[in-house]
Amino acid sequence: MKLENIVLTNANFEQQMQELRTKKNFDYLVTIVGEDFGEEGLGCIYILENTATNERTSVKMIADKVGNDFVIPTVCTLWKDANLLEREVFDFLGIKFLGHPDMRRLYLRSDFAGYPLRKDFKAQEGYSMDDEPQDDYTNEYYIDKEGKLAVKKNRLFTDDDFVVNIGPQHPSTHGVLRLQTILDGETVKKIYPHFGYIHRGIEKMCESYTYPQTLALTDRLDYLSAMMNRHALVGVIEEAMGVELTDRIQYIRTIMDELQRIDSHLLYLGCCAQDLGALTAFLYSMRDREHVLNCMEETTGGRLIQNYYRIGGVQDDIDPNFVKNVKALCTYLKPMVKEYTDVFGDNVITHNRFENVGVLSKEDAISYGVTGASGRASNWHNDVRKNHPYAMYGKVEFDEITATTCDSMARYYNRVEEIRQSIRIIEQLIDNIPAGDFYVKQKAIIKVPEGQWYFSTEGSRGEIGVYLDSRGDKSPYRLKFRPMGLNHVAAMDEMCRGLKVADVITVGAALDFVIPDIDR
Amino acid sequence: MEVKKPVIKSIPYAEFKDNETLEKIVEELHEGGVNVVCGSLDQLINWGRSNSLWSLTFATSCCGIEFMAVGCARYDFARFGFEVTRNSPRQADLIMCAGTITHKMAPVMKRLYDEMAEPKYVIAVGGCAISGGPFKSSYHVVKGIEEIVPVDVFIPGCPPRPEAIMYGMMQLQRKVKVEKFLGGRNHKMTAEERRQAMEPIVVRNVPEDFDPKEGLKED
Amino acid sequence: MFITVILTAAVLVVGAYVVAKLIGPRTYNPVKGQPFECGIPTRGSAWMPVSVGYYLFAILFLMFDIETVFLYPWAVVVKDFGAMALCSIGFFLLVLVFGLAYAWRKGALEWK
Repeated sequence: MKLENIVLTNANFEQQMQELRTKKNFDYLVTIVGEDFGEEGLGCIYILENTATNERTSVKMIADKVGNDFVIPTVCTLWKDANLLEREVFDFLGIKFLGHPDMRRLYLRSDFAGYPLRKDFKAQEGYSMDDEPQDDYTNEYYIDKEGKLAVKKNRLFTDDDFVVNIGPQHPSTHGVLRLQTILDGETVKKIYPHFGYIHRGIEKMCESYTYPQTLALTDRLDYLSAMMNRHALVGVIEEAMGVELTDRIQYIRTIMDELQRIDSHLLYLGCCAQDLGALTAFLYSMRDREHVLNCMEETTGGRLIQNYYRIGGVQDDIDPNFVKNVKALCTYLKPMVKEYTDVFGDNVITHNRFENVGVLSKEDAISYGVTGASGRASNWHNDVRKNHPYAMYGKVEFDEITATTCDSMARYYNRVEEIRQSIRIIEQLIDNIPAGDFYVKQKAIIKVPEGQWYFSTEGSRGEIGVYLDSRGDKSPYRLKFRPMGLNHVAAMDEMCRGLKVADVITVGAALDFVIPDIDR
Repeated sequence: MEVKKPVIKSIPYAEFKDNETLEKIVEELHEGGVNVVCGSLDQLINWGRSNSLWSLTFATSCCGIEFMAVGCARYDFARFGFEVTRNSPRQADLIMCAGTITHKMAPVMKRLYDEMAEPKYVIAVGGCAISGGPFKSSYHVVKGIEEIVPVDVFIPGCPPRPEAIMYGMMQLQRKVKVEKFLGGRNHKMTAEERRQAMEPIVVRNVPEDFDPKEGLKED
Repeated sequence: MFITVILTAAVLVVGAYVVAKLIGPRTYNPVKGQPFECGIPTRGSAWMPVSVGYYLFAILFLMFDIETVFLYPWAVVVKDFGAMALCSIGFFLLVLVFGLAYAWRKGALEWK
């Protein structure tokens, strides 16, 4: 989608955002893109969606300069996910959000010098091997009577708080996530997530790569939605360039996306069980995941990092045995899915641990932007394949699986059902792959016309979006990936208040996030 | 007596890469000849140790999934003795660093390595752990964990196939089998070394007006 | 027979400890003495007021553990004493079951 930005200024920003939220019902804040616009200064682009009509709009706001600082009023009272999204923008660009109760860095170390995504950022040589300094206080910025920027200190922990770190090195956090948990006995009082332990600076690296080079890094973001990540990036570049793809390419991409989704959900089913202690169920699902990987590996050559799509098509045509193997896989998987529910899902212990744990109401799910099967468990119809169809999804029949109980059990069962729906999509497409080119030839040097685009696909965990700001060069000016998991972890704090420590792990397991996707 | 060549049942000695490093290690360790009793006891102990190396669950990114796949039914590293992965470094023998280490994670990894009990080993799995990998030009990635911890085996790949990871594990097993345990690996710190290691951190050049309680005052 | 069992147990345990102490490596560094909290240094004091739920849980466990300790020797000799043993243990268990029922009723088994 090409972004036609509504440009706001300091004078009308708060009032207009309020109107967009309440009167025009743009209740889902998709993402906040912080960008160094060059001569215009630093600013943000807010992408909003109206969940009732699925209409999307975008707002551009250039930060005001107060002394040496850049400021924008906060919107975290309107959309709850803005809390972490604004901290991310502060971390990378140094824009201070007025009125935000906890303006700290999110990804980088608290003593990191500089703001990486500014165009004049110079990386420092070397790094500190000391432990990161932890402060009990956080900053809240506001403009005082003289018009200068003032800071108020908010207290994060009192002296009586018992603070425990869950992670970064932890078998159940799905990566290197640090959850600083304040406990009262066994009950959780508050959770502060800390990210950045796998922040590799992909967005900054992409600004110095050519477009085909940027594709290489996408598979390493959420490696379990490798195909969908790449599909989002390739989709935004192709949409910006206006490339017409053949039907064969669309069919292959849809089938590969769905195979990747089955692969990811199988791993999820196993890891969910493993996090709760049932280690055997993990072996069951990984056994079947190997069958899916066999099918993909024959064509793409990779088990985890596939590197399959490219701008204008795919790397190579599908293997001659692909159709036969995928059909055999679908026949094999159908009874296996029932086995998972028999072994783990329908177990009374699983029900006791999952039911009514991690309840997130529909309004909260939309406000936090929890997309994917976790959001659909709260009865929010957020499937990008249905709302903003791409590839062949507009033309195949499949159900969007939602549930009304809003708890972890619903999230688990959603994904079991989604495996069945993925098999259904594949079976509709696998026999009818049309003949044609698998690659539409592009110029040797790919240049994207000027403008801003946003394209999203349905990844295994939610909506993966890519924002591209191009100035007509052969490298992107700004490339941002919308992480699926950031919203999930943002919602974890509210979901886990009053639950026991063991339930924090359950909620995290059922939500299903992957940390390299959040950290980028 | 002569130190026997390390034997891995399924692969002949000649087919392993880099036998020269192992032979050099054997030469340097056993320079003055090997006592029969100590040598045999060493081989017994090393046989036990190499076939039961338990690794720490330390997977930061994509290579972690391949590490999990190696542990599962198809590729199964339990048959090599890597039976369980321990969650606490105090109970682990080996860190298989699977994934990128960033500047924020570096002190955490160093702390985990320090907390492990001797004898301990490190395997660098994947391009990112060896040299920064595809993220070499990033501002936040450590260019290879050898900058932080001493590494025993490097397994290249992005991600390395499970067969490659198992080959790397077998190389580590061979390295453990030629070690000199009695008199070498089971070195106890002397009192002098212990004093040096446990020296408290001394901060010098503290400014005159430094007040340690300053940060805690309420505004 | 009994002496051999005790002696073997003692020899194995003490032997394993002694061998480990003799031939095991021993290195020290300051980090090894610090508590493990997933790689991050701890914050705050460990001497916090602890929730009373832990105390209740521990007391109940202790009580029923001691009851089990009494049941084991009873099980060994019950055949020799016949009905008399059954009656006396029945009385013992009845008293403890009353205690359990009271605790259950009062909600001591739930975490508050």
